[in-house]
Amino acid sequence: MTCMMVSGWGTICHAGLGRDAFAKAFDSACAAGAGGTEASEPPPWPGERFLPNLDARELLERKGTVFMDRRSVLALAACGAAIRDSGLEVDDTNRDRIGVVLGTTWGSFKSMSDYTRDTLVEDRPYRVNAALFPNTVMNCATGQAGIWFGLRGVNATIAGTETAFLEVLRYAANAMRREHADVILAGAVEEYTPHTAWAGRLQRRSSPAEGVGTGEGAAFFVLESSAGDSRNARHRGVHILSVVTGYVPRHNGARDLDRALQDCIQRALRQAKVGPDEVTLVALDHAAGAEQDRRTTRNIAAVFGPRQIATVRVAPALGRCYAAQGAFQMAAVMAGFQRAANDESSVALVPSWSEDGSVGAAIVRG
Amino acid sequence: MRRVAITGVGPVSSIGVGKDAFLAGLREGRSGISRIASFDVSGFPNTRAGEVRDFEPTEILQRLNPAAWGRSSLFAAAAGRLAVNDAGLVPDDAPPERVAVVMGTTCGESSVIEALTAEIVERGYEFMSPDLLAQSPAGRIADGVCEELAATGGSTTLATACSASNYAIGYAYDNVAEGDVDVVVAGGADSVCRWVHAGFYRLGALAREDCAPFDRDRQGLLTAEGGSAVVLEELDHARQRGARVYAEVLGYGSNCDAEHIVAPSASSIAACMQLAHRNSHVQPGDIDYVCAHGTGTPSNDLAETRAMQEVFGERVPVTSSIKSMLGHTMGAASGFGAIASALAIHEGFVPPTTHWKTPDPTLGNLEPVPNQARSASVRVVQNNGFAFGGNNAIVIFGACS
Repeated sequence: MTCMMVSGWGTICHAGLGRDAFAKAFDSACAAGAGGTEASEPPPWPGERFLPNLDARELLERKGTVFMDRRSVLALAACGAAIRDSGLEVDDTNRDRIGVVLGTTWGSFKSMSDYTRDTLVEDRPYRVNAALFPNTVMNCATGQAGIWFGLRGVNATIAGTETAFLEVLRYAANAMRREHADVILAGAVEEYTPHTAWAGRLQRRSSPAEGVGTGEGAAFFVLESSAGDSRNARHRGVHILSVVTGYVPRHNGARDLDRALQDCIQRALRQAKVGPDEVTLVALDHAAGAEQDRRTTRNIAAVFGPRQIATVRVAPALGRCYAAQGAFQMAAVMAGFQRAANDESSVALVPSWSEDGSVGAAIVRG
Repeated sequence: MRRVAITGVGPVSSIGVGKDAFLAGLREGRSGISRIASFDVSGFPNTRAGEVRDFEPTEILQRLNPAAWGRSSLFAAAAGRLAVNDAGLVPDDAPPERVAVVMGTTCGESSVIEALTAEIVERGYEFMSPDLLAQSPAGRIADGVCEELAATGGSTTLATACSASNYAIGYAYDNVAEGDVDVVVAGGADSVCRWVHAGFYRLGALAREDCAPFDRDRQGLLTAEGGSAVVLEELDHARQRGARVYAEVLGYGSNCDAEHIVAPSASSIAACMQLAHRNSHVQPGDIDYVCAHGTGTPSNDLAETRAMQEVFGERVPVTSSIKSMLGHTMGAASGFGAIASALAIHEGFVPPTTHWKTPDPTLGNLEPVPNQARSASVRVVQNNGFAFGGNNAIVIFGACS
């Protein structure tokens, strides 16, 4: 695959916009969001992670946010932060060659559901708001990013759960390899709403004591083909060397996720031409609970042996963020590389799998 | 570079399920439009859509348990199974890790979201069914196809709205051409639902009776549903197993209007056509037939025609819209266009634009193949797909020499 350089990144999570807020979220002192917000209906349980009092106009510093849903606002905020971080200047000479690829689980569950609700409870079923209709379409935030930042290149939305962001990276790598685009803003987003909060609660496999509630946010990365112009690169050193994904169908009712995940990690290492000994950092997601976390660590140990590798877990800090989890794993890698500062030998693994059967792994060099 | 063939087609549509029924439907200009049965239309002024009325997943699916999957995933899995059967692919032909799935969708598992919403409205959030929640993520649409076909090469769901299956076919083509895998089952799926029907009505984009693309008096689209899938296979791989080749994928282009979230842009669509031609190494004069996006809304058909006039000049190719028969199947739409394109090339005909009565002077010399399919030698087809969000994607198919 085409090696991709990360020339900038940006995040928004319950702790706020930007890198400092992201780092703060990993500080256990940062409690879950509290206070009045439309997202807090119903009242949050302990461990929920959402942005209190989200003000779209203030966050995006521009008009035109009135009909945007929360998912679009979060995506635009993170995307803008990534563009600023990279120093990428969008103009008529390059906008046709800059794309956006965004991962999501439902699009906006709330926008879809609220629209359906209106057809059920209004005195006429067609008394819905036409201006909100685009929000019910899954690619709305991606199209909004194209409009907001004037990007006319490849514009794709990828649906998935935990592994969605790795699919985003694969799509971005292909777009560059096949010369459909020179630069891709790759990200993933999930919003905290009553719908996702209750979905998380009703599907929670772990005990509440584990403290992983539902979260929200977005992370974006400015990706450029390594062969391309790197004038804008502030993170000159960070490269995504390989991304491998696969699917594990049920066989006689069960899935062999363990073997598939190990196979993915090994293939990612081979493609990256990186030996297991070189990996210095692993970014784990796993929000679904302790049992899932044990499965991931067990399979990593099967590939890397008993050696201790520095490990960062995004879910305890950021909550269960569905499609955004993979992007937050990647953001944690970027933050980790920055802390390691100039350590030439930094190599990170981003593994992912979902109960639905998809598996994946990426190797990143810092 | 590896060449990529279309060796199987799997339509699950309102005009027919399976290749033979779908082909017959296209040839005779069959209408798949009927009074909506999948939800209560009481209170809606417009009551028609393109539903797949006789969809029986159990008759098609071999591995998937229909009770555990949403309607869109079932459409996708059934389409994938039909396409693989049509291609004559058996498990020994390709190891599972060399087979991937890429499917498109606009609204994902919309009927599942609507069932959950009914629970919310009736009893509250806390009464959402965990089983329905498990079925609700849109990524399940490609997962279901992987599950049905026991494919392990990857599951990708592209949610780029109404051009999503062209995105899927384009991405699949790149993956086969580069040798990542040898076979990709690609297409799309969506289900008729209340919210989309209401939304298009509120936008003033919904037709009352029939969808009449390119007609002067066209009123709009009709929502529709189904699953579309094609088998993309590396050409030598197909030849070695003696497969029938319908057509070859020559290339594709995609771009974003970046102007308005719902209104199409003729200049951006024209740019997308040029991207597709360049990627496919064809000239505008090579295109024999355009399988139009052709939703039947005044604005789409005008923008699409203007874009073609800009790219093709005086010689706009013969153009028809199969949405006149199927309705707008959203994420499945350009997949049905791809199937129609492959069949047009292989069978030597052009499908009609039905319900067409009156020429529209604002569309110039557009030739919409009114009401009757036509025999023709078709060597190169341009399959258009446009979407909310300004997501344009166009795939070019050619006769396989």
